[in-house]
Amino acid sequence: MTLQRKIFGLVLLLLLALALTLPFTVSNYMLRVCNMTMITYMCVVSLFVIFGMAGQISFAQAGFWGVGAYISAILTVKLHVSALVALLASGLGTAAFAAILGLALFRLHGHYFGFATIGVVMILNGLFQNWKPVTGGADGIANIPPFAIGSLEFASETSLFYLIAVAVIIISIATYVIYRSSLGRAFMAIRDNEIAAKCMGVNCYQTKVIAFAISGLYCGIAGSLFAFVSSYISATSFTFMQSSLYLVMLMLGGYHSLPGPIVGTALLMMLPEWFRFLQEYILLIYGLGVMLLMVVMPDGLIGGGKQALESYRNKRKGVANVAQK
Amino acid sequence: MVLQLIIASLAMGIVYGLVAMGFVLIWRAVGVVNFAQGDLLMAGAYVAFTLTELEGLPMPVALVACAAIMALVGVVFHFLTYWPLRKSWDMTVIISTIGASIALKEIATLVWGPAPLSVEPIIPGIARFASVSIEWQFLVTIVIAAALMGMIFYLLEKTYIGNILQATAQDQYAAELIGIPVVVATSMTFAISALITGIGGMLISPIFFVSTTMGGSPGLKAFAAVIIGGFGSVPGAIIGGIVVGVIDTFSGAYISSTYRDAIVFLCLILALLVRPQGIFGEKISDKV
Repeated sequence: MTLQRKIFGLVLLLLLALALTLPFTVSNYMLRVCNMTMITYMCVVSLFVIFGMAGQISFAQAGFWGVGAYISAILTVKLHVSALVALLASGLGTAAFAAILGLALFRLHGHYFGFATIGVVMILNGLFQNWKPVTGGADGIANIPPFAIGSLEFASETSLFYLIAVAVIIISIATYVIYRSSLGRAFMAIRDNEIAAKCMGVNCYQTKVIAFAISGLYCGIAGSLFAFVSSYISATSFTFMQSSLYLVMLMLGGYHSLPGPIVGTALLMMLPEWFRFLQEYILLIYGLGVMLLMVVMPDGLIGGGKQALESYRNKRKGVANVAQK
Repeated sequence: MVLQLIIASLAMGIVYGLVAMGFVLIWRAVGVVNFAQGDLLMAGAYVAFTLTELEGLPMPVALVACAAIMALVGVVFHFLTYWPLRKSWDMTVIISTIGASIALKEIATLVWGPAPLSVEPIIPGIARFASVSIEWQFLVTIVIAAALMGMIFYLLEKTYIGNILQATAQDQYAAELIGIPVVVATSMTFAISALITGIGGMLISPIFFVSTTMGGSPGLKAFAAVIIGGFGSVPGAIIGGIVVGVIDTFSGAYISSTYRDAIVFLCLILALLVRPQGIFGEKISDKV
């Protein structure tokens, strides 16, 4: 166990070193892809909280992402609020929005909650697309100023990379803490068996609303950062399709543990870049690849990897036993 | 004006009903929500475009050929998305259908190109009854879709094949024990589902343009219809489809044409909160 811990720590350190030096080794374009990957990762982690931990399937994440982006864009462009305040407002505002929505929608159970969230993302997309006075309608909102803390401005791709990396690390640690806490255990108890959780004294309704609010908080922060990174937002980003892609990333990576979202997001965001030479076939292969991976590894890459490791170990043990005899 | 709107909403509603029926058949047979249903509608529209506009087949022939091709697509779809995953958790099949949805869109783009295509109406022109004028296309849509629904209903309720499909849907294991080839039954269910959805796509293709993303909105609205009607109920799907069609068309005409999608889904959420099991659904209590 301690050896495993050491290896895990080493890998983490290596990853950190890699991340810190990344801006010096890759092109500006790849850096932008990395930034988008990290923003997507936050949304996938939000889905990990509500679906992976609490077991409530949600398609509203892209909608929340949009709410966060629009709050930041409107605050900075129209009301000239400072960027840091806008970021906080996006996170808290989206969390509050998710909590209120959760209070209404968690009267529904199981699949029906998931169906209702499809309605939520469609309604939000309709509002983004058409509510011209507030969201700019189909034109979207342009000229969002770069993120800044006081006079420190994050305009270049590299500085944004570090900014988002900090947010990603904070969110990852926070999620890990939740995962280990009694709140996280309550989430997982609800996922595994809601009635049993109730018997153990978990207030299911309230706990699910909290999980939904946390996922809203993550998406709001991700949306705000997205607005600052791209400096232009429109309704076409925040669609049902985007939500289902988050779900695909989570399921491909593995929804049981935190490394799952990391692996899933990195894989699905980076693969199209590495396989550019396939050109117009890339999305077709992407779709077929998703189907194939589900057949080969129904528990996701992390889950499948663990299983493979286990069976390999068992085999070795078996061989050792036979040798002893 | 009102009568025209009623006919238009019936035409849209009955197509939503067809797609919703496609959802329900798969749900009942294998317990999976098929997120690629809208893309099967898109595939049907493209197949119909190829048969009528490019090959120049006469309408009835094209209709039958389109149905046959879509049934085949359904069988292939079944063996790619559901069959390898039949023993695993239902979420994996859902993810697989999302993958299939991406793949289907891309295949359509590769074969027919990204530009939207236009299709001639089955019967062009406008029918006049006294002071009311109605597009023939709407009437044709209603007649063909209703006939198709009637046939599927007859097939499911009155025939031997229907009994096999229903037995498989109720309990795959028991069906296998009494000698029903489950793989034939499930693939046939997928074939029927793809067939009616594809014909739905053929019927609405003259009303909208044929494009790779045309399945998105009708697919999700049909899904709303399934939920409003009651999950797992075939009559519920049809009634739900018509309800959604009426809400869709009338809110577009009287409230706001830009917010019509949002209004439909607002009604969906309200319907869920008031009556989660839908119009025809049965209340299922939680099981430990």
